[in-house]
Amino acid sequence: MPLLSERLYRVLLRCYPGEFRDEYEREMLLAFRDRLAADRRAGRGAIARLWWQLVVDAIVRAPGEHLDVLRQDVRYALRSLLRARVFAFTAIATLAIGVGANTAIFSLLHAVVLRPLPFDPEGRVVRIWAINSTLDVDGFSVSLPDYVSWKERSKTLDLAAWLNGGATLRGTGDPVRVPSLSTTAGLFPLLGVHAARGRLFTPADETVNGRPVALITEGLWRAQFGGNPQIVGSTVTIGERPHEIIGVVPEGSVPQDAEVFVPLRIDVAREDRSDHTAQVIGRVRPGATLDQARGELESIARQLALEFPDSNRNWGVTFSTAYEWMIPEGTRRALYVLLASVCCVLLIACANVASLMLARTAARRREIAVRVAIGAARRRIVRQVLTESLVLTAFGGVAGVLLAWWSVPVIRQWLPDTLPRVNESSVNAPVLLFSLGLCAVTGVIFATLPALSGSRADVVEWLKEGARGSSGAAARWRQTLAAAQIAIATVLLVGAGLLIQSLHRLQRVELGFNPANITTAMIGLTPERYKGPEASWAFYQRLLERLAAAPGVQAAALTNGAPFDEGNTGMPIEAVGPSRLNGKSLQADWRMVSPGYFKALQIPLLRGQGFTGTLARDERTMIVSATMAKRIWGDENVLGREITAGPAGNFTIVGVVGDVRNEDLALPPAPTMYISSAQYQWSTMTVIVRSIGAETQAPSLLRTAVREIDPQLALYNVRTTIDRLDRSAAQPRLNATLVGLFAAVAALLAALGIYGVLAYLVSLRQQEIGIRMALGAGRPAVVGLILSRGLWLTASGVGAGIVAALGVSRWLRSLMFEVSPTDPRTIGLAVALVVLVAVVASYAPARRATRVDPLLALRSQ
Amino acid sequence: MPRDIGAEVHALLPLPPAFLHILIALGDGERHGYGIMQNVSERTAGRIRMSPGTLYGSIKRMLADGLIEELTAGAAGADERRRFYRLTRFGRRVAAAEAERLSSLLAQARGSGLVPRKS
Repeated sequence: MPLLSERLYRVLLRCYPGEFRDEYEREMLLAFRDRLAADRRAGRGAIARLWWQLVVDAIVRAPGEHLDVLRQDVRYALRSLLRARVFAFTAIATLAIGVGANTAIFSLLHAVVLRPLPFDPEGRVVRIWAINSTLDVDGFSVSLPDYVSWKERSKTLDLAAWLNGGATLRGTGDPVRVPSLSTTAGLFPLLGVHAARGRLFTPADETVNGRPVALITEGLWRAQFGGNPQIVGSTVTIGERPHEIIGVVPEGSVPQDAEVFVPLRIDVAREDRSDHTAQVIGRVRPGATLDQARGELESIARQLALEFPDSNRNWGVTFSTAYEWMIPEGTRRALYVLLASVCCVLLIACANVASLMLARTAARRREIAVRVAIGAARRRIVRQVLTESLVLTAFGGVAGVLLAWWSVPVIRQWLPDTLPRVNESSVNAPVLLFSLGLCAVTGVIFATLPALSGSRADVVEWLKEGARGSSGAAARWRQTLAAAQIAIATVLLVGAGLLIQSLHRLQRVELGFNPANITTAMIGLTPERYKGPEASWAFYQRLLERLAAAPGVQAAALTNGAPFDEGNTGMPIEAVGPSRLNGKSLQADWRMVSPGYFKALQIPLLRGQGFTGTLARDERTMIVSATMAKRIWGDENVLGREITAGPAGNFTIVGVVGDVRNEDLALPPAPTMYISSAQYQWSTMTVIVRSIGAETQAPSLLRTAVREIDPQLALYNVRTTIDRLDRSAAQPRLNATLVGLFAAVAALLAALGIYGVLAYLVSLRQQEIGIRMALGAGRPAVVGLILSRGLWLTASGVGAGIVAALGVSRWLRSLMFEVSPTDPRTIGLAVALVVLVAVVASYAPARRATRVDPLLALRSQ
Repeated sequence: MPRDIGAEVHALLPLPPAFLHILIALGDGERHGYGIMQNVSERTAGRIRMSPGTLYGSIKRMLADGLIEELTAGAAGADERRRFYRLTRFGRRVAAAEAERLSSLLAQARGSGLVPRKS
């Protein structure tokens, strides 16, 4: 019986820290035994009370004892770090940079990628596109009659549609042009939008010929209407018609660039089912799954293809979730790549601190050995090392978070605005949680090795050797760490090299036109003021003449879409007569252009002639790009041939021009056809001006010219083409810049690692070096001894790094352009850089080795 | 720098009840752990029974504060298995100061009529 209770009590005593047990366990057991014997005599109640006390002790007192030990350890660690200020500062600064950079990048990743969409936390909102595999068309706009049919027939989806556009607001000072949306009433409830003021659209607003009403965003309400509290019910002229403002919607609540919303009024009878103009979004109804919705809509599309074969044959549907639509795969991958690279930097930083701590432990061997010899438990020593790293991590972590907190707003300003949601990034609770986890992992990583090496303290040996022992294990570990750092730095440098190389090629890609000195601006004519294409063409001709005659302007032109203005127009065409298409359709981009378009953009006319600008001569004529001509007719003469462009009818080819990249630097030029803007214009067109010198004058020149002809017109989206190109390369530039920066930091830290290890090695091997020198070894031999060790470390690190880089770089493939992930030149360059840095880092310790005085080194034996 | 014993004494006040009980138990000579537990129990007519955890947790701290000291082996006589403790001079001063503090508190309580005066 006593055996059992004693055993039980021993179990309870396990709650106390080891140090406490070492000191008092035996005494406590003795006291327990005596007390138990006394309580036995007093009866069962006393025994029950004793056990109750013991359990309460274990729960209440034991944690206090643990805390006591921790407090002591922390105090001791702080004291010893204060004594080693340089070490402490270096370690904390290294960790702070690592943790800070990680926290900052993670806060971006969290804001952009990890957060669910506010209006769709469950992923039930989908973007729906038309698809046509025979035309090789994916993610195309939807025709309004198809949208209406889907909406009528679907049982699994609530659908809404919109058309993007622009609206000129009048009546509040200068006319302003703002992006607008014509939308069905269902869009707002689908996105969970509530009116900030007034009301949203109702189905009644969708009736054709209904009262003109509009919604505006809070931003426009403040900027254009001074935040007028009586805004609801007031009237604003949009285009030429007065509209009643019925409500204000919160800024950013609709994920589209729009400040004005008008109801989309669909007259199915008058709409063309082959005219793909609308954007469609849907929310899967409760009870249905995404796959069910997709299946249902696909079967509706098949029904429609049977019912309307002329317009719908081969057209299907494709889905993407709202999340995939708003945060594209490329953006997500890029941010993960950034986080991975910054994690590598942290790993190298950890290795540096671990290496420093190993050196420190080795230098403190005598102190540790003495403490073990006078009775400190080994686990206490290990814990001291762990506590020291805990304290370093805590300081480094706090400094890192502060660094991130300070730098995130700075980084945010510097990031391209093509990154969605990036403005919402901040160091918030989830980010702090991440940093906390990071610090915990960091602390464990860099503390494990020193702690292990401390625990293996061989007291007798260490005491004998004194502080300057050979400490082979620590030195070996430090060399392994240095090689690992080199390996990680190699991976980062290869990755950065590949991304920089891609960016370089992307920026030097053949555009097919000369973007320098080009300024573009959009302008919208209203059908009320400019009745018919003749009237508006007359206006544009006057404008172009005036611009071309202005000083400083080399050329002026008109188009429905300038290169890289984030829009595209395309349609399927068929060849008339024999062709390589064999009766199939070809999806081609098209542009309406004025005669001066090719000259203004410096697109070469390869064959035939340009447009004249007069309707009589340009009617039914077409100029095609070289790729398009080749795809249809090969190398045959194409002038005079005809194509059919759907309902627009037949066109005769009068000229062939060079290929142009219009949309995406990374995509090859699409087959493109041009028709004269004397034949057709849109209500909104883009004016292009090529300046002779700098393009800074162009915007005011454009504004003046437009105002002189018609002061009622608004000019907007004034931008240089160089700007637009920059924007389209913003993400690759960000990737290359940041990964390059991280790689540079990594290489620097790795160099510090190599330097530290070799310097330590030199100090350890002073005697050996001294003997060698005494025996006649010259300086070159000594330098060679140390350098060769450094190079050996570097070589093993680089070898491992190349293998890892080959494995990892495949992951970068989607971020790369015209560069192979195994590009030997890039890898060679990265390796050369690593070796160079390593040699530089090795040289200082090697030189110090030559300054060893053989006499002194030998005497200290 | 001369030690300011008075300040050191007052820095420890008020003492936790377990400390005071242990000081009192050691007031008339050295005792081992269970001896202290027994003494406390006897003096309080069994109302306060210290657990080993409380006892040794307190002893650890009191040793660190210099209130008590451990007797070197052999000095305690027969029972060499056990560790014996006794008051230090500093511990005695602290105990006295604490008793003083309590008695002045008691006097004040009496003065305000909270506690009946001794007849």
